[in-house]
Amino acid sequence: MRSAADRARDVRRLVEAARAVVRDRARWAAEIAASSGLSPEGVERAFLRHVEVDASDDAIAALVARAGDAPEVHVVLSANVFVAPLRAMAIARAASGRVRVRPSRRDPTFARALVDGARDPAIAIADFDVANVDRGEIHVYGRDETIADVRRRARVKVRGHGAGMGVALVSRDARVDDAARALAEDVVAFDQRGCLSPRVAIVLGDARAFADALSAALADEERTVPRGVLSEDEAAEAARWCGSVAFAGELARGRAHAVAIAPASAIPPPGRHVLVVPAADEAAAAAIVAPLARHVVAVGSDDAALAARVAPPHARRSALGDMQRPPLDGPVDLRPEWR
Amino acid sequence: MSASERRVQSDALHARARAFVRAFEAGASMPEPFDALACDLARFQAAHVEGYARLCRARGVDPATLRRASDAPAVPTDAFKLARVAAFPPDEARVTFRTSGTTVGDRGTHAMRDVVTYDAAALAFGRWALARDLSTRPPIFVIGPSPDEAPDSSLTHMLALFARALGDGAFYLNGGTLDLAALSERVAQIAAPALVLGTSFAFVHLVDALDGATLPLPRGSRVMQTGGFKGRSREVSPAELRAAIAQTFAVDEARVVSEYGMTELSSQFYDAQPEHGRFVAPPWARVVPVDPATLAPVRDGEIGIARIEDLMNVDSAFAIAAADRVRRFEDGSFELLGRAPGAAPRGCSIAIDEILRG
Repeated sequence: MRSAADRARDVRRLVEAARAVVRDRARWAAEIAASSGLSPEGVERAFLRHVEVDASDDAIAALVARAGDAPEVHVVLSANVFVAPLRAMAIARAASGRVRVRPSRRDPTFARALVDGARDPAIAIADFDVANVDRGEIHVYGRDETIADVRRRARVKVRGHGAGMGVALVSRDARVDDAARALAEDVVAFDQRGCLSPRVAIVLGDARAFADALSAALADEERTVPRGVLSEDEAAEAARWCGSVAFAGELARGRAHAVAIAPASAIPPPGRHVLVVPAADEAAAAAIVAPLARHVVAVGSDDAALAARVAPPHARRSALGDMQRPPLDGPVDLRPEWR
Repeated sequence: MSASERRVQSDALHARARAFVRAFEAGASMPEPFDALACDLARFQAAHVEGYARLCRARGVDPATLRRASDAPAVPTDAFKLARVAAFPPDEARVTFRTSGTTVGDRGTHAMRDVVTYDAAALAFGRWALARDLSTRPPIFVIGPSPDEAPDSSLTHMLALFARALGDGAFYLNGGTLDLAALSERVAQIAAPALVLGTSFAFVHLVDALDGATLPLPRGSRVMQTGGFKGRSREVSPAELRAAIAQTFAVDEARVVSEYGMTELSSQFYDAQPEHGRFVAPPWARVVPVDPATLAPVRDGEIGIARIEDLMNVDSAFAIAAADRVRRFEDGSFELLGRAPGAAPRGCSIAIDEILRG
C-alpha cells in the first residue's frame, strides 16, 4: 500500500500542474468562457482566486486522510464549476494508484489541461461506461439524478458528490458594507453556479441596509467582473423568481444581479441572485437554516462563533469572501455521503 | 379608502364579472370589452394587494394608465406560496383554497371573499363543456375525494358544485379508497346518459381495481378527467388513460374530456371536443403564451409560458404566470405542453426544483 507521504507527493504533482495551467491560462480561457457561460473576466477571476495552487501540507495531509484507498478510481465529472477537477482528481489520486477521469462533456477543458500538465502515468482521461467498471470505486460529481443513475448502473462502490448551496450569516455586529462587499465576491465567483455559492443571506441586523449594500456591491463587481451569459432556462427562472419576490417582498435589481428581501422559501436561482432573510435572533436564524440543511454545503459569516452554532454540522465554515476558497483538504462537500 | 368602500368596489367588479357569465349563458355578446374589466381589476388589485402594487412598480407599470390587459404584470403562481394574494383581510375570506405543499415551500393559498362568482363561472362553462347535451339532471359519478376529505381543494369544491348543480351526484372515493361496489351498483341502475368526474390518479386506481372488467354507461355519457398523479398512483400517459377510461365506461374517446385548472384561478379550460389536446377558454379568461425571460407575448403558434388572464379572479390576481408551457392557436384555443423544466444549472449549484423536492 502506498504511504501517506507518497499520496501527498502525487497530490502535490497535480497542484503543480494546476499552477502551470493557471500560468498559461490564456491558452484555455476563451474555451472555458464559452463552455462555462462565464465572462472572460469571470474566468480570469476564477483562475486567479479559486484554483487551489497554494495548498498547505496540513491541508493535503487532511485530503489524503479523507480520500480512503482503492485499487482504481473512476472519476465522472458531469457537472461542476470549471476549476473543480483539480480537487476531484487530487482525491482520486490520493486514494489510488490508477485514476481514470471522464470529464464533463460540456466543460472538459480544465480537466484535460490538468491531466496533460501533470504527466502522471497513473491518471488518464477516458470515456468509460460506469456499468463496465468492475474494480475500485467510482467518484461521481453531478446532479442527484446523475448520481442515482450511476449508483443504479454501477457494480462497484460509488461515492457521489451532489449539488448544493451556500448560506451567509450576517451578525448583528457586522460592518454592513464590509460584509456586503465580501459576500458579493462569493456570489460573483462562477456566477453563483457552485455548490458553495451563497444563495441566501440570513441577516440578524438591519436586513434592508444589508440588502442595499449588497446590491451596491454587486453592481460594483459587475463593473470589473461582468456576469456571463445566462441560458434561456436560467433567464426564465430568474424572471420568475424576480416576479415572485417583487410580489412577496422587496426586490432590488441591477443590470446583472438581483437582491430580494422575502420569505425564506423563496430560494433564488443561480446567476447573481441573493435572497436576504431577516432573522430576529440566533434561534430564528437556525430555524431558517434547518429545512435547507441537507442542501447546505458552506456557511460564510462575519462571526465564526455564530456560524459554528447555526451552521449544519457538515457544512464548511468560512469568513465571508472566502466561501469559494476552501482549503484543499478533501471534498468540497462534507455532507455524510463523503464521510 | 375605507373597508366598506373597498367592499363596494369589489362587489361592483364581481357584478361586472358575473355579467360575462350571464351573457355567455344567454348566448349574448359580452357586456363590455375584456380589457376594460381587466384593467379595472388590475387597478383595484394594485390598490388593495400590496404585493401587486410592488410588482407593478418593479415592472415600471402605472396601473392608472393601463389600457390593455397584456400590459399589466402577471403574478407568478409561486407568489401564492410566498405571500397572501388577496385584496381583503383574512377575516373576510369565505373560502381558502390551498395548493399541494412541498418540504421547503409553503402551500399556496387562494382566498375568496365572494365564492358566488367562482361558482357561477365554473358552473356555466362546466355545463357548456360537459353537460350541454345531457338530460336536465343527469346522474353524476365523482371519482375523487369529497369536500369532507379535502375541504381546502378548489378542485374538490368544483366537483362538489357540479355534483349538486349539474345533476344528481355522489362521491365514490372515501378515505382514499374507491367504493367500487357502490359505484357498480349505481351504474347498473341508471338508464340516462351520465357524467363521470374524476382525477387522473383516481381513474388509474379504478382501472386497476376493475382489472379488465368494465362499468358500461348509457350511450351519450361523458367523462371528465383532471389533475396529475403526484405520486398517488402509477403514472399513465394521457392517451393511454383516455383509452382506458373510454373502455371502462364504454364511451367514445371523444367523450372523455380533459379539464385544465389550478388553485390560483377561478376559471377552468376544457378539451375542444371532439378534439383532444386543444383547450378552449371561456370568454372571461384567456391564455397567452409569453416568452419566459422577457414575459412578452410570443406569436400565435409559438411556445411560451402560460400567462392566464381570468376576469373571475376579482379579489386576488386577474393575471397569473403559470409554469406550464403552452402554444396558442388563432382561435384562442391552446395546447398544453407540460410544465416548464427548471433550469439545469451549469455548475454544481443546486436547482430550485431539487430543493423543493426536499
